[in-house]
Amino acid sequence: MTSWLNRMSGRTRYMVCRIMIHLAGDEIAPLLGLLNEKGREAIDAEGDLQVLGEGLVEICQNLLQMNLYWFSVANEGDVLWKEEEAGNYVTELFTDSAQRYLSEPNYGKPVGENESFSIPITHNLVVMITIAATGETPALETSLGDREGLEDALKAIINLHYQGRLEAIQVQFSPAQFGDELTNDQLLLNFPELVPL
Amino acid sequence: MMFRQFTALVMALTLCLSTVSCGTNSSKVTQSQQPTTNSTPAAVNNTPAIADGRYPVQQASYDDADGTYSLTLLNTPPGTPPLYRVSNLQMARLTNEQIAQGEKSFLEVKDNTPVLYLTEDFKIDYIHNVTETRENPQTGQTETVVVRQESNFWSPFAGALAGQAIGSLLFRPQYYVPPVYQPGGLRGFGGYGNTYDGAVQRYRTNYNTSPAAVRNRETFRTTGGLRRTPSTTVRQPAPSTGTKSTGSGYGTSRLRTGPGSSTTRPRSGFGTSPGVRRAPTRSFRRR
Repeated sequence: MTSWLNRMSGRTRYMVCRIMIHLAGDEIAPLLGLLNEKGREAIDAEGDLQVLGEGLVEICQNLLQMNLYWFSVANEGDVLWKEEEAGNYVTELFTDSAQRYLSEPNYGKPVGENESFSIPITHNLVVMITIAATGETPALETSLGDREGLEDALKAIINLHYQGRLEAIQVQFSPAQFGDELTNDQLLLNFPELVPL
Repeated sequence: MMFRQFTALVMALTLCLSTVSCGTNSSKVTQSQQPTTNSTPAAVNNTPAIADGRYPVQQASYDDADGTYSLTLLNTPPGTPPLYRVSNLQMARLTNEQIAQGEKSFLEVKDNTPVLYLTEDFKIDYIHNVTETRENPQTGQTETVVVRQESNFWSPFAGALAGQAIGSLLFRPQYYVPPVYQPGGLRGFGGYGNTYDGAVQRYRTNYNTSPAAVRNRETFRTTGGLRRTPSTTVRQPAPSTGTKSTGSGYGTSRLRTGPGSSTTRPRSGFGTSPGVRRAPTRSFRRR
């Protein structure tokens, strides 16, 4: 009823959603390289949303290619008719996502020249993508608990960028970089909402 | 008869009241590390629609914080203030004939759509917002902050450049975005189109970045080690034994934020577990 009224009065419909994708396996670490690269590009562009959108497209395309490693997923979102509410929700999701990991790097002990060392390869990686978009996007406004749904959702995000409908983009990921690990225990503790695909 | 009218009135009022109360937020601010202020200046709300007609323009200004035009109009109808603010405004240049006949710049509103008709030397006051990316000491997240404002002018239709670029389109209402800011004043335009987004797109093609009004509405945040210059010391990473692993993130939002927090309002939306916020330190009952 209220959405009909909102449409009639010409208000903009904002959809805000977050998707958490958990990848597991031996070959997922290279995705960390891409995520860090897109992060640095975003910083160099001083947060230009257009640049973040292009980066997000690449990230989504890579995620689609790595569907063999999809292990579990969670998504949540809402439709809002007031820009401030949508903006606040986006801010909340950013802070909430940031609370799932430590911002500090892993300060291991320095290694001497001739010492051997090994870099643990993480077997878990969680990517959290939050977007705000105008209009309706049915592929995202549903429960993404299966592989097909998740595939459609990632494709929908790519389309949203090309349609110029994205008003906010956030990408967060854990662990932060090569050599850091996300253990199964940490996964369960910090991402309890994930459901197996 | 009177009683029925009275009941109908009461019912109508109750309906109005209940619809209005559905929209209010509870504005309890939580203690978590939410970035407190949206540092880009709050966008000015458009003034209510002005009646169709033609209004001479005494003065106009453009704020690149969000692309809002503020116009001082003459001969506005009674009850309508002379100050008119609008975000996306079409503009057109007066033709040579109109100028020869002594026409001055005016705002024409037709079917609720405002169009600003300007002489070729009309100067719009340009308010330039100088922004900086700073780290918020409370949240550790970086934000875009307006550090000062500069006043300058913008003549969209000044000089031969304007004429050569788009020819006769000049005299038809179009959306324009200013060129890149420079301290000596702005002449001409950085993008044009028959939609605002089209004008923004053209600007992007020309300059490889978005116009100031668009960029200034963006708040950029990062977390984690993305901003740190990579260390050259080789380190053996310590085994991950804490409750949390490492992580990084970045994000930009163009949306305005408001003072009210909606954390306390349960979300009815969609998702694998809608309506439940699952940050590890808090627990909620499923709705």
